[in-house]
Amino acid sequence: MIYDEPKFLPGGDRFIEMELGDELNFDLNFLVHSLSAKIREAEIAGLIELLPNMASIVISYDPDLISFADLKSEILSHYRNMGSLEDMELLSPIYYIPVLYCDHVTRACWEDYCAKITEKEYDSDILVKLNDLDGYAQLARIHSGTEYWVAALGFYPGLASLIALDPRCRLTAPKYNPPRTWTAKGTIGYGGSVTCVYPANTPGGYQMIGHTPVPVCDIEQSLPAFKQDLALLRPGDRVRFFPVGREEYDYIESRVTAGDYVHNVAHYAKFSIRAYHEWLGTLDMKERF
Amino acid sequence: MKFDQPKYLPGGDHFILVQFGDDASIDLNFMALGLTAALKEDATKGVVDTNPSYNSLIVEYESDDISYADLKIELARLISGLGSVEDLELESRLAYLPAMYLDPWTRDCVADYSEKIAPRDYDPDFVAEVNGFEDAKQLARIHSGTEHWVVAVCSTPGLPLMRALDPRCAITSPKYNPPRTWTTLGAIGVGGLSSSIYTTPGPGGYNLIGRTPVPLWDPQQRLPVFKDRVVLLDAADRVKFVPIGEEEFEYIEARVADGSYEFNITAYQRFSVGAYKKWVASLNQDGRF
Amino acid sequence: MALNIDVIKAGLETSVQDFPGRYGFWEQGFPPSGPFDMWSFRLANILVGNAPEAAGLECQFMGPTLKFSDDCVIAFTGAEMNATLDGETFPMWESVAVAAGQTLACGFASVGARAYLAVSGGIEVPQVLGARATFHMAGVGGLEGHALKDGQSIAVNGGAGVPGRKVKQDCRPKIANGKQWQIEVVQGPNDDWIAEEGIERFLESEWKLQARSNRTGYRLEGPEWIFADKASSKGPEHGEHPSNILDHGYPVGSINLCGQTPIILVNDAPSAGGFINPFTVPSAAFWKLAQSKPNDIYRFNRVSVEEAQEMRRGIDGLCVEDSIE
Repeated sequence: MIYDEPKFLPGGDRFIEMELGDELNFDLNFLVHSLSAKIREAEIAGLIELLPNMASIVISYDPDLISFADLKSEILSHYRNMGSLEDMELLSPIYYIPVLYCDHVTRACWEDYCAKITEKEYDSDILVKLNDLDGYAQLARIHSGTEYWVAALGFYPGLASLIALDPRCRLTAPKYNPPRTWTAKGTIGYGGSVTCVYPANTPGGYQMIGHTPVPVCDIEQSLPAFKQDLALLRPGDRVRFFPVGREEYDYIESRVTAGDYVHNVAHYAKFSIRAYHEWLGTLDMKERF
Repeated sequence: MKFDQPKYLPGGDHFILVQFGDDASIDLNFMALGLTAALKEDATKGVVDTNPSYNSLIVEYESDDISYADLKIELARLISGLGSVEDLELESRLAYLPAMYLDPWTRDCVADYSEKIAPRDYDPDFVAEVNGFEDAKQLARIHSGTEHWVVAVCSTPGLPLMRALDPRCAITSPKYNPPRTWTTLGAIGVGGLSSSIYTTPGPGGYNLIGRTPVPLWDPQQRLPVFKDRVVLLDAADRVKFVPIGEEEFEYIEARVADGSYEFNITAYQRFSVGAYKKWVASLNQDGRF
Repeated sequence: MALNIDVIKAGLETSVQDFPGRYGFWEQGFPPSGPFDMWSFRLANILVGNAPEAAGLECQFMGPTLKFSDDCVIAFTGAEMNATLDGETFPMWESVAVAAGQTLACGFASVGARAYLAVSGGIEVPQVLGARATFHMAGVGGLEGHALKDGQSIAVNGGAGVPGRKVKQDCRPKIANGKQWQIEVVQGPNDDWIAEEGIERFLESEWKLQARSNRTGYRLEGPEWIFADKASSKGPEHGEHPSNILDHGYPVGSINLCGQTPIILVNDAPSAGGFINPFTVPSAAFWKLAQSKPNDIYRFNRVSVEEAQEMRRGIDGLCVEDSIE
């Protein structure tokens, strides 16, 4: 639920966790990011950084410049002045990311895990069974059949938590137990009801359903998309995956290696909450891609 | 060129043509579609129907309800209410349409023309060469790399006239001369600056580069998406082609045939012309997909 | 005059850090990094005439062996690493002139765990995302993104340090070898997920620092946690285990409960995740974490937000020129 009164919880001497609600709810997440944008705009003296997530914002502050109580009341007044959620709109770029589903890279990673850590069923088989799908083709069709909302960033630089905007495309997946010691950069992961692109070679716990040759984070900033920022995605952005075959995958990989790959992004659409709610109302929830 | 003041031209006893300029600048189409939306919102008495095109809008009216002179005044009022083109925000659905590029069916169609009417190269090779692309595969990559703006739905039922929104994906090509006598249903064609999808198997002049298995209109209103409408797309909608292989094509074709195909359309975005112009200005024109 | 420092032996994990570290990119998943013991670090800089923020070295458990290409003034603070300069005992908490060609060799930390080396002029590495601090896990900042390696060379800016300056005895952190530490904690943010008995048990118990601890997290070993009802009667999106919560941001210093294992999230910690944080270690206690070793025992002492803020002000007040004699 979305709380009537948000909670302001202390995190040591220079952090506040502001909890707006306690569920995975798109509206709630939209509220989190709209409020974060408002707070940023307000340039409150003493506020250092904001960390918006699914249903909460962690705020770091300098207690020499603003007290916990004053910061709380300033944020609360911005929250109260937000207006109606239905009227909110946000300019939201969409990134198109190519994916080779059931690919060789993540298969090798899964085989390595089975050999070295513990036997487990192939990740895509787990998703197919658990979500009652026809097979790998339908898994790819459903995963690539919706736009995703960047609900949060964090845990690792450039790692974005993506949630499906089309509720018919929301899958569920258990996490690896124990977690993997490594995951290939570019792995498309699914855990709980969240999907992600691994920004680097890191440990991981999400099921691996595909792989993209396109980087979402680039410490060296070698590709044009990373000229200004190391990470591609921001909360409130959207992502759409599109399935490619091995040949196209190899081609894109070669362009990335050569440093002239152009990320595919369209940045001109405003996401409207009212229109989104209306659209949800038109969907036949029994239908599946 | 955009006219300083739109021109109003009579079309018989119950049409008026509003012309915003005399070239194919997409701004003129944004204005025409902005006026279309404004007329709908305003529910101007006497206005029966609208038919937008590249740079103009035909308004059909009932002269018993409004005079030609009064309609001109009403239109001028609505146009001035639109403000500058940058201020326009248009309701714009985004349809993800599966496309098999370089498919066997349009290949046969081109071969048939070559044999019976006039010898010519395979269209995708020809278009790639004219545009300086590496090969037909790059043509497919570029054509599917952008959202296409539906300028108008015209000529034959449900046929979308489309323009690439990413200027780096603009494809130009001369049309067939003489035209084809028949065209594969669902063929995706490019000609001049535009793209289109053939919604009837009739004659045609665009170069054929691929095919979609999904119908763009349905007089029987058999598929769920056509429940309340006969034609899939409206002007100001956008189309993004999703490249597929033959297997997926056949799967979708079968679902269309058995009436269970679920279209992939999102309807929660507004197209911001101002944001679009900023985005276009930010693009590195040398970058190619 | 600018100089170079050759890394003869890198030590266990020696990294370039600056104060306060990397800010402004937390939202994208970049933690602050920076010196773990910010108190000792700043005093080292002040000793050699640098701004307290200047980049220096953090040496962990076993320090490096370094050769200086030119004359300079350096200072070593924090843990006692039994350093020698060309074989002669090197004094801690004091600025010392080093001549061209001399070698500073460190040993294992005998008191404390982390030592800080400042060089007059400050270490010169490129700023990455606004800071020189090393974030090893992502290969960002510092010397080529990682801890020092044997054979590397570190550039130092020209500086004008004065030798013979000492930090007053009562202005230094009280680093000792007692193995027992009193660590301040502020209750929250997610203390309501723990039952009242669980809160009391946490505060009354001894917690042992596990060996698998580093600049990312400090793992603790201790009694079972007792969860509040809330932790088991929650929506499925929070996850199954009582310690699971819908993904949220992690304050630096928060005590992150992963199942039954509490992990104190420190300078290089992930910025977000799906576990609760019932307590937070405030900044004023970070130097104690930095100077403790595996198997040391922690007891936690609850303080209010305001008390924690006052303690931090107290430490900041010591990281100034007045602390030098």
